[in-house]
Amino acid sequence: MKLMNTPKSLELSVTNRCNLRCTYCSHFSGPGDVDHDLSTEEWLKFFEELGRCAVMNVTIQGGEAFIRKDLKELIAGIVRNRMRFSILSNGTLITDDIAAYIAGTGRCSHVQVSIDGSTAETHDACRGKGNFEKAVQGLEILRKHKIPAAVRTTIHRHNVNDLDNIAELLLEKLRLPGFSTNSASYMGLCREHAENVQLTAEDRSSAMATLLRLNRKYDNRISAAAGPLAEAKMWMKMEESRRERQKSLPPCGYLTSCGCMWSKIDIRADGVMIPCTQMSHIELGRINSDDLKSVWQNHPELKQMRERPNIPLEEFEFCKGCEYIPYCRGGCPALAYTLLGKETHPSPDSCLKRFLEQGGKLPDVL
Amino acid sequence: MENEKLIANPTIVLREEFDDWAVLFDPDTGNAYGMNPVSVFVWKHLDGNHALEDIEKKLRAECKNVPDDAGVFIKEFIADLVAKGLAGHKFQNA
Ligand code: SF4
Ligand code: SF4
Repeated sequence: MKLMNTPKSLELSVTNRCNLRCTYCSHFSGPGDVDHDLSTEEWLKFFEELGRCAVMNVTIQGGEAFIRKDLKELIAGIVRNRMRFSILSNGTLITDDIAAYIAGTGRCSHVQVSIDGSTAETHDACRGKGNFEKAVQGLEILRKHKIPAAVRTTIHRHNVNDLDNIAELLLEKLRLPGFSTNSASYMGLCREHAENVQLTAEDRSSAMATLLRLNRKYDNRISAAAGPLAEAKMWMKMEESRRERQKSLPPCGYLTSCGCMWSKIDIRADGVMIPCTQMSHIELGRINSDDLKSVWQNHPELKQMRERPNIPLEEFEFCKGCEYIPYCRGGCPALAYTLLGKETHPSPDSCLKRFLEQGGKLPDVL
Repeated sequence: MENEKLIANPTIVLREEFDDWAVLFDPDTGNAYGMNPVSVFVWKHLDGNHALEDIEKKLRAECKNVPDDAGVFIKEFIADLVAKGLAGHKFQNA
């Protein structure tokens, strides 16, 4: 695969601060949890470099992005340098004033608000008391200003049985066009609370079946890049291929799961360039000191990450004898790192064989 | 019209990729358009100093194997850019 001259998009952790402490937060107590934020001027200077590099999109995130008092100035810098932006938020700090400003730029692709429950009880179980109401209110403010609003539901032990109601709230009562899902993964604070929040194999089986059923009911308006819905689709395809003894379909059989490092790069709240916010431990350089284009094209760690797709799964002791090898892509490198301490390894979390050994069941129907 | 100088919309981003191919990105709409090397050459000359025929002349002078009908391609390409609001004719004082 040929490498682009410069990254097409970046995820920017504009702050390390957040007004909440969700029990499954992947940020806090992980390597992205740094001791200071950058100044307005440092970000604005970097945005000029992004403009020169013809970067198209940035995702503003934290911590909680709306906690920054200078958010308008940062957005103005992004707009001035001819980029579009999205914001990831817990929704609780969105005001009419900032929403009007965002809408006025005409450059916002979407603001994503996290809603994890159909009621305060389920949403607040991991996010803290009072935050369901504030998040729904934040969502309403965005919609009032006609800002494309997206919702992400993180599935965990306390809301896995609330999925029907969540879909009803978001798709019927609030009439959103759709929402996306993932699940609490073993990173950051979640590592400390894993027993309490992470899905068991049984929970995962139930969530997969429920989400597939809901997608039939709601015309595929629920999406996922990770978590039970994504796993259901991928694992059912793998099982079908195994049963029918199909030939391997490229790029399966190799560590090919993540293609992010071919199109984007991320920045930690302290200005350190990293391959992905979930892999904040890999430090590639520092903004405004190191040249972004040169880091993107030449950094040995990034080059090594881009070599992952050449590593066959059969080389791993972990995969020895597994019948899914020709249909498997090895899963997320960040989860492989957080679980095993190495990125160049299949992720145990994405492993179908392991899931079945733990008593997990795939849904019956395609 | 054909002698009028052409100018690119300054909001539009040219992302040069590998092998002289590129993408034109309109941040206001989010639309992106793939560009072949000839289109990139034309885009880079939409600087307010060149008219359509100047660009064709330069292309023939600077590039090898330019097809006979390149002028038609350039004309259509520019018309398309103007229709999409990605470029326009430079305003000239009388
Ligand atoms: S998950 Fe998001 S909202 Fe919750 S503590 Fe972490 S950064 Fe804050
Ligand atoms: S052991 Fe797991 S990761 Fe390896 S090929 Fe089998 S299913 Fe995939």
